[in-house]
Amino acid sequence: MPVMTYNSMFFVLFFAVFLIVYLLMPRPAFRQLVIFAGNIFFYKFAGGLNALVLVAAASLILYLCTRRMEQIYKGFEAEAVSLSKKEQAALLPSYKKRTKRWLFLGIAVMIGALIYVKVGKLLSFEETAYLKDLSFTRIIVPLGLSYYTFSAVGYLADVYWRKAKAEHNWFTLFTAMSFFPTIVQGPISRYDRLMKQFHELPGFSYERVCHGVQRMWWGLFKKSVIADRITPVVGGIFANVFQYTGMEMVLAVIGNVIALYMDFSGCMDIVIGCAEAMGVTLDENFAQPFFAKGAAEFWRRWHITLGAWFKDYVYMPIAMNPRFIKRTAAVRKKSGARAAKVFSSAIPLLIVWILTGLWHGTGKDYLLWGLYWGILIIVETAFAKELKSVPAKLHINTEGKGYRLFQMIRTFIYFAIGRMITAAGCGRSLFLIIGQIAKGGKLRILWDGSLFTYGIDKKNMLLLVVSLIAVWIVDILSAKGSVRGRIDSLPMVLRWLIYYALVLSVVIFGIYGEAYDASAFVYGGF
Amino acid sequence: MKEKILEVLNENYPEIDFESSDELVDDGTLDSLTVVGIISALSAEFGVELPYEEIIPENFNSVDAMAELFAKYV
Repeated sequence: MPVMTYNSMFFVLFFAVFLIVYLLMPRPAFRQLVIFAGNIFFYKFAGGLNALVLVAAASLILYLCTRRMEQIYKGFEAEAVSLSKKEQAALLPSYKKRTKRWLFLGIAVMIGALIYVKVGKLLSFEETAYLKDLSFTRIIVPLGLSYYTFSAVGYLADVYWRKAKAEHNWFTLFTAMSFFPTIVQGPISRYDRLMKQFHELPGFSYERVCHGVQRMWWGLFKKSVIADRITPVVGGIFANVFQYTGMEMVLAVIGNVIALYMDFSGCMDIVIGCAEAMGVTLDENFAQPFFAKGAAEFWRRWHITLGAWFKDYVYMPIAMNPRFIKRTAAVRKKSGARAAKVFSSAIPLLIVWILTGLWHGTGKDYLLWGLYWGILIIVETAFAKELKSVPAKLHINTEGKGYRLFQMIRTFIYFAIGRMITAAGCGRSLFLIIGQIAKGGKLRILWDGSLFTYGIDKKNMLLLVVSLIAVWIVDILSAKGSVRGRIDSLPMVLRWLIYYALVLSVVIFGIYGEAYDASAFVYGGF
Repeated sequence: MKEKILEVLNENYPEIDFESSDELVDDGTLDSLTVVGIISALSAEFGVELPYEEIIPENFNSVDAMAELFAKYV
């Protein structure tokens, strides 16, 4: 049976047929029905229909909890009509207390399932694809569980906080939860925004379909031409860490970072392009992350929807918790405003980063990875003033291009260290890799030709360098405005030349095949 | 209320000119970390618990908006 991944020919053919049928539909409701059918087809070949049954059950619980919360708040609204703003504020807590039960019920079911699966995987429970085989020691790992769980918890919280309205149509909610472009690797959707679009799905637009397909193809280029050329080589090196030293290891770490960026951002280009062709706007997950000036900014540009989720549903609720605010006030009284500012951001940040680490993996290496980023961002935030004054003391011009380049290289190194913490798949990964680098040597591989003996020959290396320069240029242009808008304004001959070059480069230089290990997307495992 | 809020803000964030704009959050003058710090300082000053749903950009875009918000709970 063929397996559906976003970079497979099977998916490209499926999506082409799907899009034609979808665009032929005369009304938004019919288009939604086609999306639902597409979701079933995708699940059948990507994760199994049993996984979809579990999503249906989860969506039903989500639907019932949010509708119940809405009904309770309707009582508040009826009572609040004749009250002043101050009286309304005094009345609201009694209603929130009643809705809280439904919020907690929904969160307990959603997070409970996620923890059960994650802990089950940790305890090496057997995985099964069939509901009838489900038992304590056998678990089904539903496709996209981590992604739709986060979206579902966000939606529950937004309805509880009255920032989103509860969806009245269960079918729309189920279709949004199982929306096939987002189910494998995100982006983590805000269901209220997604469902609003599902009610108004637009018809055919040449520009939108054209832009969507262009972006899909650009994602395929990043994944199949760049990432899949590098991943098996660096994967082989990290699987045999002790055989490689010095420059070999440095290049493997750099390759690992580049491959991950191309893999994950390439997948996002494919799925966001898919949705765009349908007339659905998904949240962006990347914004030229390696152009960031520091660690905190990097995480506002890398996996944006995960960072935004943690900010809205973990960081802010902790920081705004009345008991935490009282603690902060006590710190302010005792140690001053500066200490209070550090305390009020450091504690929630540390919790956020420990949880972010555990979301990525349940091993010690991921816990260490979370602590690494948490501490880095806390130091950057708490000592912003002092860090800013260092270049001035050293008489360094922070406005120059040289300093910008230094900041970008520093960001790359921050990320590379993070990758080293998890790359070898054990708690001592960072020390193993640094130890191998410290053994030194192998500098000669840069000029004696042996660089091309590790699995990427001279021709492929040249292709990689040219491709990476193309991505670099597109990233620079994207930071300044829409690249596809610029292409639209080019003369027709030039425009079609670009389209053909992109399509042919994927067809000719792309690496595919079912037996090819690297073809699965890295973030699909979450 | 407004004067008291301005006093607390200037004491905690002397580097920010809070009266320069009525789009403090939207124009990027205040990031989420600063908003958290402001809420923390003002909640302690007035002894109120601000519900989470009130933490939206519109309520922190200007000193007037903050004054109107806290007036509901004081």
